[in-house]
Amino acid sequence: MALITATQLVKTYAEGATAVRALAGVSLTLNEGDFVAVMGPSGCGKSTLLHLLGGLDRPDAGTVKLGSDELTTLDDEGLTLVRRRRIGFVFQSFNLVPVMSAIENVALPLTLDGVSASVAEGKAKVWLERLGLGDRVNHLPDQLSGGQQQRVAIARALVTEPVLLLADEPTGNLDSKSADDIARLLRSLSDEHRRTVLMVTHDPRIAASARRLVFLKDGVIVDDQNLSASLDTSSKVRSQLEALS
Amino acid sequence: MSVRHAVLGLLHQRARHGYELHAALTSLGGGEVWDVKAAQIYATLDRLAESGLVREQPGTQSGGPQRRPFELTDAGLTELRSWFSMPVKTGYQRDEFFLKLMLAITSGVQDPYSVLRTQRTSLYRDLHELMTHRQEASARAALAQQLQLEQAVMHVEADLRWLELIEGRLDDMAKQTTVEPAPKPRGRPRKNPQSPDGE
Repeated sequence: MALITATQLVKTYAEGATAVRALAGVSLTLNEGDFVAVMGPSGCGKSTLLHLLGGLDRPDAGTVKLGSDELTTLDDEGLTLVRRRRIGFVFQSFNLVPVMSAIENVALPLTLDGVSASVAEGKAKVWLERLGLGDRVNHLPDQLSGGQQQRVAIARALVTEPVLLLADEPTGNLDSKSADDIARLLRSLSDEHRRTVLMVTHDPRIAASARRLVFLKDGVIVDDQNLSASLDTSSKVRSQLEALS
Repeated sequence: MSVRHAVLGLLHQRARHGYELHAALTSLGGGEVWDVKAAQIYATLDRLAESGLVREQPGTQSGGPQRRPFELTDAGLTELRSWFSMPVKTGYQRDEFFLKLMLAITSGVQDPYSVLRTQRTSLYRDLHELMTHRQEASARAALAQQLQLEQAVMHVEADLRWLELIEGRLDDMAKQTTVEPAPKPRGRPRKNPQSPDGE
């Protein structure tokens, strides 16, 4: 079922005297439970697409429909509510509040929304435990490794039970082992928790953990492929894998 | 891979018969990665014995190669040491994809970008499969298996990065005209090349 539908998105940024067309007519539908990676050369418009899908920015033309809501027609307050309650964001830099513990950071979106601290921290604890950080709830961000900080950030993005998780280069600041762990985690969110996940990345092995791969170039989608179409998987790899097991 | 040297190495560890060698070789890779048939091992043993690199262990009754224990000779050990001292050269094989791409550019039959995308999708599906398998396997697989899986992942990754590089330069490649060597004249040269019409 379609969760979010973007239609003919156009976005142009003024850069000095020249106008840079970041998106030149992008249409994309994400279904519930999709795990999509967006790739493309730098400047191809992938972060712009993520910002428009998440209501962080408005398109010059085109529409974004999340469920029954047309994001492009919402006022700023309406957009803020959608972002706070229905969409989770994860960024390359983890953006944790340095003076707050892991559990306080994760509870923050709920407490900002008026939920009592005890209820918010109860939910925060559940997500921290799900993400393997049950023994780190009272640590401050600088007492955690990069991979752990990103997991706290993911828990924070999920604590409001959003329908859509958007991640912009979520492994960009991590070593390859932690990056693999985060990729595995995002995959399990989609597999086990039926979250819809869209991530922007330039790392092939992180992108390959997704089930669908979208390529942008010069502001348009040039390729949109299902990766787990096992019918198409080369029999060579399959037989090699069978030999390994 | 060199079955010959694997056999020499395993016989240096201790004398074994063909059947044992087959089992030991299989387990070296952490599974049946190196698909070596038992018959191949027996044939290798016979050839190694002919070259004097291995010999049947003295004092054993004769039987098929699967039952006769073999041991390493001094010449075999020298050969094994020399093998270890040499680096393994990776072959840069002719790449069919690159040939396809160049022909797409020159022939105009197919858009080179579509050739590139088809290849990219196929590589990403392989990588997806490998990553999925690696996640499932990492907990239980032997280290040898994990390392080989990692090698496969890195190879696909390298190919994808290479495609990325090509994609960035595809327009420039298409602009470059292919310089073909002028055909060499064949056969006996004409007597008077200045006046092809003759006298």
